[in-house]
Amino acid sequence: MSIFEYNGSAVVAMVGKNCFAIASDRRLGVQLQTIATDFQRISKIHDHLFIGLSGLATDVQTLYQRLVFRHKLYQLREERDMKPETFASLVSAILYEKRFGPYLCQPVIAGLGDDNKPFICTMDSIGAKELAKDFVVSGTASESLYGACEAMFKPDMEAEELFETISQALLSSVDRDCLSGWGGHVYVVTPDEIKEKILKGRMD
Amino acid sequence: MKLDTSGFETSMPVIGFGSNSEMLDGVSSVPSFDLPRTTDFDGFQKKSVEMVKPAKGTTTLAFIFKEGVMVAADSRASMGGYISSQSVKKIIEINPYMLGSMAGGSADCQFWHRNLGIKCRLHELANKRRISVSGASKLLANMLYSYRGMGLSVGTMIAGWDETGPGLYYVDNEGGRLKGDRFSVGSGSPYAYGVLDSGYKFDMSIEEASELARRSIYHATFRDGASGGVASVYHVGPQGWTKLSGDDVGELHYHYYPVAPATAEHVMEEAA
Repeated sequence: MSIFEYNGSAVVAMVGKNCFAIASDRRLGVQLQTIATDFQRISKIHDHLFIGLSGLATDVQTLYQRLVFRHKLYQLREERDMKPETFASLVSAILYEKRFGPYLCQPVIAGLGDDNKPFICTMDSIGAKELAKDFVVSGTASESLYGACEAMFKPDMEAEELFETISQALLSSVDRDCLSGWGGHVYVVTPDEIKEKILKGRMD
Repeated sequence: MKLDTSGFETSMPVIGFGSNSEMLDGVSSVPSFDLPRTTDFDGFQKKSVEMVKPAKGTTTLAFIFKEGVMVAADSRASMGGYISSQSVKKIIEINPYMLGSMAGGSADCQFWHRNLGIKCRLHELANKRRISVSGASKLLANMLYSYRGMGLSVGTMIAGWDETGPGLYYVDNEGGRLKGDRFSVGSGSPYAYGVLDSGYKFDMSIEEASELARRSIYHATFRDGASGGVASVYHVGPQGWTKLSGDDVGELHYHYYPVAPATAEHVMEEAA
């Protein structure tokens, strides 16, 4: 098994009508052994910007801490929050700095930009940005996630329907992966509120 | 090394005109496995062993107690990280009073267990009495020993009830054969052993033993990524085996650890 499959992860983000949803599994494992079932993969950068990191868990935590640090500095200097597009470029630059000894994670960035337009993108471990208009996936269950999202996604969904769709896509995909699952964590973000929900999934 | 092909021989004489007679079924014709025609036989074997990659991603367990033998297993088949099936039968019914558990390569286990069933039946017909668990496991172990190093992946437990009472043997692809009271085989076996060993008593009723077996499999599926699906529990008694239960492990979790209803559903945050 490759180093990206050492801890196991599944992250997905979807675009809706003036809202977005980002979801991840909750398992932390060491190869086949499950160590924890409450691992945080998605973190808030600011109220309208979330980042989900899949891959090696230690790099997930370290990279998150570095990004929060950079964003706080930005807030002090510019006296405002970063736009999602700008943040994506920042993440890409930080990852490419380590081109010959990379962080072994694949980030998924989701945010609301100007005019509350939802923005999602994903990157590989050395910072190649992939923008999408509908959904992005990453992690050990990514192939199953691609299939499930492709089948279930509809454009311009409202927050409630988006929550249902992303939850079903996540749970059905991780049920086909030995290394991710054990519950789910979903954030649905609209211009006015952030809804955080824990999903009851198969614990095997 | 001469392969032991006695698995295919029968006690009845081969009648007819030779090995290619259509009147004879596959068992009584001249036994052989085709060998690959290659210049580098050893290298080819090494590569095919690597390809099969004995992973034994599963959890099976069996134990002897006062009322007989309890056998339990999960039902997940995995190929690396991908779950290829959640509904595999890992407890194989060799005959009405003997069960075999499957860990390792599915094809290997299915074939050799069926082959063992054939030999057991032939023994019954030739000797007018049932074969013992000891004898059956020895037949399997000897067969697997002759294929040692060729990349078979079989980690099985033969459980049954014969004239001497309950019997349990562990047999693997190295040709090892162990007699014992408690075994667990597969990648989830350490977790199953933890629960099984701490809860085991010889004097258990059938309900207590089946609950212990179910719980052990459940805990293994929780911790081990390569085990999951359905926890099947079988009991072997003096009248033969019966299937006691087949519970979906996803539901078992919430049965053992029900979710307390959360107080706050979601967080309302003011946009900055």
